[in-house]
Amino acid sequence: MIHFLWKEKGANMKENVASTVVFILLLFLNTNLLNGQSPPGKPEIFKCRSPEKETFTCWWKPGADGGLPTNYTLTYHKEGETFTHECPDYKTGGPNSCYFNKKHTSIWTIYIITVNATNQMGSSSSDPRYVDVTYIVEPDPPVNLTLELKQPEDRKPYLWIKWFPPTLVDVRSGWLTLQYEIRLKPEKAAEWETHFAGQQTQFKILSLYPGQKYLVQVHCKPDHGFWSEWSPESSIPIPNDFSMTDATVWIFVAVLSAVICLIMVWAVALKGYSMVTCILPPVPGPKIKGFDTHLLEKGKSEELLSALGCQDFPPTSDCEDLLVEFLEVDDSGDQQLMPAHSKEHPGQGVKPTHSDPDSDSGRGSCDSPSLLSEKCDEPRANPSKFHTPEGLEKAEKPETNVTQPQGPQSTSVEGKIPSFHVSGSQSSTWPLLQPPGLHYSRSSYHSVADVCKLGLGTAGAASTLLDKTDTRALKPSQTIETGGEGKAAEHGESESFHSKTDQDAARLLPQDKTPLTSAKHLEYVEIHKVSKDGALALLPKQNENSGRAEKTSTPETSKEYSKVSRVMDSNILVLVQDRRAQNLAPFEEPAKEAPPPLPQNPAAVDLASFPAAPSNCRLQLGGLDYLHPTGFMHPFQ
Amino acid sequence: MDNKGSSQKGSLLLLLLLVSNLLLCKSVASLPICPSGAVNCQVSLRDLFDRAVILSHYIHNLSSEMFNEFDKRYAQGRGFITKAINSCHTSSLSTPEDKEQAQQVHHEVLLSMILGVLRSWNDPLYHLVTEVRGMQEAPDAILSRAIEIEEQNKRLLEGMEKIVGQVHPGVKENEVYSVWSGLPSLQMADEDTRLFAFYNLLHCLRRDSHKIDSYLKLLKCRIIYDSNC
Repeated sequence: MIHFLWKEKGANMKENVASTVVFILLLFLNTNLLNGQSPPGKPEIFKCRSPEKETFTCWWKPGADGGLPTNYTLTYHKEGETFTHECPDYKTGGPNSCYFNKKHTSIWTIYIITVNATNQMGSSSSDPRYVDVTYIVEPDPPVNLTLELKQPEDRKPYLWIKWFPPTLVDVRSGWLTLQYEIRLKPEKAAEWETHFAGQQTQFKILSLYPGQKYLVQVHCKPDHGFWSEWSPESSIPIPNDFSMTDATVWIFVAVLSAVICLIMVWAVALKGYSMVTCILPPVPGPKIKGFDTHLLEKGKSEELLSALGCQDFPPTSDCEDLLVEFLEVDDSGDQQLMPAHSKEHPGQGVKPTHSDPDSDSGRGSCDSPSLLSEKCDEPRANPSKFHTPEGLEKAEKPETNVTQPQGPQSTSVEGKIPSFHVSGSQSSTWPLLQPPGLHYSRSSYHSVADVCKLGLGTAGAASTLLDKTDTRALKPSQTIETGGEGKAAEHGESESFHSKTDQDAARLLPQDKTPLTSAKHLEYVEIHKVSKDGALALLPKQNENSGRAEKTSTPETSKEYSKVSRVMDSNILVLVQDRRAQNLAPFEEPAKEAPPPLPQNPAAVDLASFPAAPSNCRLQLGGLDYLHPTGFMHPFQ
Repeated sequence: MDNKGSSQKGSLLLLLLLVSNLLLCKSVASLPICPSGAVNCQVSLRDLFDRAVILSHYIHNLSSEMFNEFDKRYAQGRGFITKAINSCHTSSLSTPEDKEQAQQVHHEVLLSMILGVLRSWNDPLYHLVTEVRGMQEAPDAILSRAIEIEEQNKRLLEGMEKIVGQVHPGVKENEVYSVWSGLPSLQMADEDTRLFAFYNLLHCLRRDSHKIDSYLKLLKCRIIYDSNC
């Protein structure tokens, strides 16, 4: 029995032992699991850097350590080698780093680097990292940053910043080329002001706010690498009197220039007008004899215009024709007007023309410096172009009673025309002023307001000059003697010259012109011709109803008022007969620069071919200018 | 008498030795930079070096940009870098691998090494331009840079030959350079292979242009500024 019990006990004990062992084993396992120990996690190389392209360092980040002390090793092999090396220096770069010194560093070679983590439980390796030292260069910041305020005598003060390249970098041999950048800001400012300094190791700052403390930093970059970190801040206080001299000078300059400006403005304001007239002399307005400002003011345009011989207002469309027609002066004695191609104005009647015996039909001579600037020996235009002013006047006679002897008036006007021209008329806009045509031009231009104005204006200006006894009058024809007939005619005519414009109207002949002493009656004279020496050959108006005709012979009964005896009242020409004026030298074509073509008025072509006379030509009438209708017309078209 | 004569001979000999030593020292220690008789040599050599350095710097910048562009576009996730190990055709030219080695090389030798590398790249650059043009969706950033690099490489080669002519005149150098045989790879039908061939070529170009740039800057500081840049 006892044996049996013993046997049972033994079996039980065995079982107990086995279960205990199992129990203990299980316990052991459990405790192990509760501790969390495992092989290490995978480390990771996160940065490799070379400060001078001669050495480099790699840092890694350990993975989970598995709760056990883990050992890290770094192994690498180089491109072109099979041999695997271990990191030569784990210390220099700090924890979890590997430093490769010069001996172990090859440029332009790929390193394949791996970190192994090992612990009791196991090990793991990082992914291999391919590193070429060429492309991981990042230097240290520059050193010895110094700031200095410099205030030289004759120059502006500035802040002088100096530094040195980082100690490890070999710049002297050219192994690395560094470029620098500085930044500065007042202590309390939010933004940095950055400046690129190139390869120099100093920098000057000129614009600084006085009375503040400035902070300065510098960093550098190798020629094919990364920017370094910023150096530690250096600070410098800027004194309050920094760069004040600059401002005072500028303030002084500003005040001085303001004072000068004020003085100038005041001077201009006080004497502005006289200064302006000094610099830009006023252009004398044209004067028209016979222009009555009172009439103008009263608004009696009809009377005004009729007084001036203008047909009607507003202008009619065929003014050009009138213009063309009535500007021709023919001194051949033919009383007929000879319009080139202009149509006959219904109201004008026959336009008398004059033929020029010497084919020099009263065109203005070429002596006007401004008007007649071309050669004066060019073939004359068709002499038939000239119409006596008288004819022109006559044509308008129905409406006007002012057909007057053109001669004296014209002469006076002529006498002044060149000077008038000189005074301000542009050749192109002031066509030749024909004395005979003057009236006509005026008369005919009435239908074109501006043209009329112009015509009147010229006459008016001429008379103005006359009034003023302008010394610029060219020729001695200032003194105009008039025959008896001329005077009254002129007088009356003067009234006809009321311009319908306001061009110096007041200067025109006054209404109550003093009649010429010997003026007895009105007589229409037509200008026969204008001679070279400034004599106006006038003829009594005849045959006003002669139609267009070519030149006709000089009428035998013509009396020639070809000599100006004097000027009366500064606006009346006194003409006398000049016996010797039978053989007036033919005058030359008035000089005029070629007027622009008038496409709208082919009739004026001949007139347009007026050459301008050189200055050595003489005016027939001491400065007679012919009014060229085309010239008139053109600017106003 | 005899003593005097022998002592005289001895002193003469000594004198001769001294003179010859001096001459020898001179000839070994300092080779003239400029050939004798060239008046403006030094100035123009400085200009030549300045221009060469500017060109080499520019070429490396372009190569770097070109490589980065290609890497970003075509090589992501393909692991080309793992294969581009020891695969440059110019590795047969033994060139200094760090600063110390480069500083120990004589400047004429270094110049000829530079010339060798430059010449080795004439052919590959030409084919690079052709093949990049033929790539589908030929990226303009890469193509334009390739064309520019090819152009500038020729100019740098000319400049270097001029420098060599001044620094080392009269010496007929053997034109050593590496032959490139990577053209078939560039023209492979398989896209992966072809792309890797491009990657490898651009990788080697980036490296070699940096090498040339570093050597030239070393030489410039050494020759022109006497190692005091």
